[in-house]
Amino acid sequence: MRTVDRGSRWAPGTALAALLLLAPAVAGAFTLRSEVDARRVGVQDQVQLTITVEGSGAPDEIPLPALKNLDVVGGPFQSTQVSIVNGRMTQSRSFTYVLQPRAVGSAEVGAVQAGDQAAPAIPIEIVAGSVRPPPPRRQDPFGTDPFGDPFEEVFGRRRGRAAAPKLLVQAIPSRTRLRVGEPLVLTYALDTQTSVADLQFKEAPQFAGFWVEDLERPQTSPSGEAVTVDGEAYRRFPVMRKLLFPTKAGTLPIPAATFRIGLARQGFFDTGGVVERATKAVRVAVEPLPEAPGFSGAVGRFRATASLDRDVVPLGEAAMLRFRVEGSGNLKWIDRGPEVALAGARVFPPQAKSDLRTTTEGIAGSRTWEFVVVPETSGTVEVPALSFSYFDPGAGRIVAAETAPLTLRVEGGTVAVGLPAPPKAGARATGTLPLRSDLDPHGGGALPGRTVALLASLALLLHAGIWGASRLRGASRRREGRAASPRSVRAALRDLERAAGETASKEQAASLVEKALHEAFGDVPDEDEGERARAVRALLDDARFVRYAPQLGEYGDKVKDLAARAAEAVRKWA
Amino acid sequence: MGLSARTVLPGVLAAALACPLLGAPAGERFREANELVRAGDYPKAIALYGELAVSGHESASLYWNWAQAAAARGAQGEALWALLRARELDPGDRAVVRDVERLREALNLDPAEIAPEPLAGVGRWARRFRMDLLAVALVVLSLVAHVLARARPRTGGGGGLAWAALGLGLLAASIPLAASLARPTATVVRRGAPLLDAASPTAETTGSLREGEVVPVLESSGAWLRVEDNAGARGWAHVEDVRRLDTPPAPPPD
Repeated sequence: MRTVDRGSRWAPGTALAALLLLAPAVAGAFTLRSEVDARRVGVQDQVQLTITVEGSGAPDEIPLPALKNLDVVGGPFQSTQVSIVNGRMTQSRSFTYVLQPRAVGSAEVGAVQAGDQAAPAIPIEIVAGSVRPPPPRRQDPFGTDPFGDPFEEVFGRRRGRAAAPKLLVQAIPSRTRLRVGEPLVLTYALDTQTSVADLQFKEAPQFAGFWVEDLERPQTSPSGEAVTVDGEAYRRFPVMRKLLFPTKAGTLPIPAATFRIGLARQGFFDTGGVVERATKAVRVAVEPLPEAPGFSGAVGRFRATASLDRDVVPLGEAAMLRFRVEGSGNLKWIDRGPEVALAGARVFPPQAKSDLRTTTEGIAGSRTWEFVVVPETSGTVEVPALSFSYFDPGAGRIVAAETAPLTLRVEGGTVAVGLPAPPKAGARATGTLPLRSDLDPHGGGALPGRTVALLASLALLLHAGIWGASRLRGASRRREGRAASPRSVRAALRDLERAAGETASKEQAASLVEKALHEAFGDVPDEDEGERARAVRALLDDARFVRYAPQLGEYGDKVKDLAARAAEAVRKWA
Repeated sequence: MGLSARTVLPGVLAAALACPLLGAPAGERFREANELVRAGDYPKAIALYGELAVSGHESASLYWNWAQAAAARGAQGEALWALLRARELDPGDRAVVRDVERLREALNLDPAEIAPEPLAGVGRWARRFRMDLLAVALVVLSLVAHVLARARPRTGGGGGLAWAALGLGLLAASIPLAASLARPTATVVRRGAPLLDAASPTAETTGSLREGEVVPVLESSGAWLRVEDNAGARGWAHVEDVRRLDTPPAPPPD
């Protein structure tokens, strides 16, 4: 028997290639096709019209197109096909009608419209009598070869498929008794004794009453795993795994799933074939969860932590409170964060962030709720212990995980009055508006820019005034005959004191006297015959005499006398 | 001689009736408005804040609370105006500056759309660091040094100090002076406020203004302001739609 022989001749590569075709579905737009199995038929023949929608998003019902010279004698027969090719799942639905021509002539299947897709009309020629050959006798694809095997006569044995191959598909649950929210791994496996070229769902499995997550296909040997079913040896290939969470209590059925399995060709004249196999329905007994106030609905094992992004915050700025739950279970279900109410701070509704991955133990990872906390008063804001209750399947009871209390120190600002009392437990705190309690006195504001400019201009004017007044005073003195300014007078008197000193030579002393007189009186015109001019000229002459006179004796007394007289003149006239 | 009680009393009563705030200190009225906010009566609270502002009790705190009430009421443009007004009064208030940024982002406005006059920013900087007082102090110092230098010429150093102080004083004075050249600005407090081609309610609408946008005020006429939006379109807008940032709010019409 060749079939028996094939059982030992595995084509693991082929089988694995077929298994690899299974992957998550990818949604896409749908296409619409309308086809007939013949464009020219006799009036006694029948025409098969097939309308096919492929892809997702198609309407559930496709209306029958307008028929000309044709009657519907059968249908619609609906079939659904799911195929997975190169990791891409496509789903197609076919609606088949059997049409009977009414009379010889022309007939037409009208255009088909579905959504935004349309298929064109199909003309059909109707002739007299019957032109179609009788339908071929349906043969078992694994039975005799209709064309025969030329080598059969030579070698004396048949080369076709003598019997249906041994193939099974199984739906294997990891357990059949669990509680609501607990995970269950459902594995679809192919048990086979022959090579498989293709594997498709004829009908996608339905999981009513379960939350479904896809799991990665397990890594298996290319030749599969040896198993014995009903005393027969098979190779088992897991083709798909699903993680199911029951969402309600009771006995939940997992209906049978039907696969279309393409068989690999075994020889030159072997055309392969397609068989259908269905899994057995599975029933899962689901127990309810105990009820408790504040129970989050989480099932698994979790740990809760809370943290603040800073310990100290200036009044008017915000801090971030993070509440994190990590562990394994049905964490993906849990949308609602804890209720946070803080006295003296406004708490904004949280943002939830997830870092989750699907494992055979459940959904593992963490979920974090981030609350923005805006203190409304300086001092401290106490964050109480936050609670997260979950059902621990191991302990069989509801467990409450609590975080450690936190303290946020608020610095600066004024203490707001009339802060509301902390909300009651269970009520969401949206906080109050961060109002300021005191009407701080306005500081009078800055001087307007033009006022400042005016004051600066005024200062400039005052500077000019001071300078001008000084000049005017000098001019006035000159007009009064007081040639020198007080500063010049003081400088002249100081020079005269130095000239009268003991240390200066007669030349130095005379030079100082001359300088002092010039400082005090300036140039004295020769034509000026006034008393002052005459006195100054006499003093200058004496100074020049002392300066240029030969050193024939002691000039100390003379110099002192000259300096004294010059000082008297300066005091008197300058 | 003088005023008799018969003539003074009616005057005082008239003033009391004319000014509702006369009977209560501003602080109490402020706290009363805060309580109204906490009770959720935002319109009344805003009206009370407005009365306080009109009566001369403007402060950053007043406008801060006004902004909170307006934001809670959903009037984000008005809230932004109140915060910008608070920033004008107290440019160093960091909480106000931060909330201005938050509201600007909430209104999806570009930073340039709330700062059309760069010189206004210079003015805030000058007010924050009191350049006006610094300038006045420096010019006074220069005057004193100058006078001393003239009076006691031989003491030395007085002249140099006077010139240095005068130079620095003029430099400091130039900053608020430059800021005073900035055009006045106003904030759009109503979503889709119309821009009209004339200062009249029956004028043609030439465009609309973005809520929260700060626009330069080109001129004013009664209850109308001629403004220029960030796209360069010029037109007239009503003072109830566009509120000035350089002056206290106008008293409500009788």
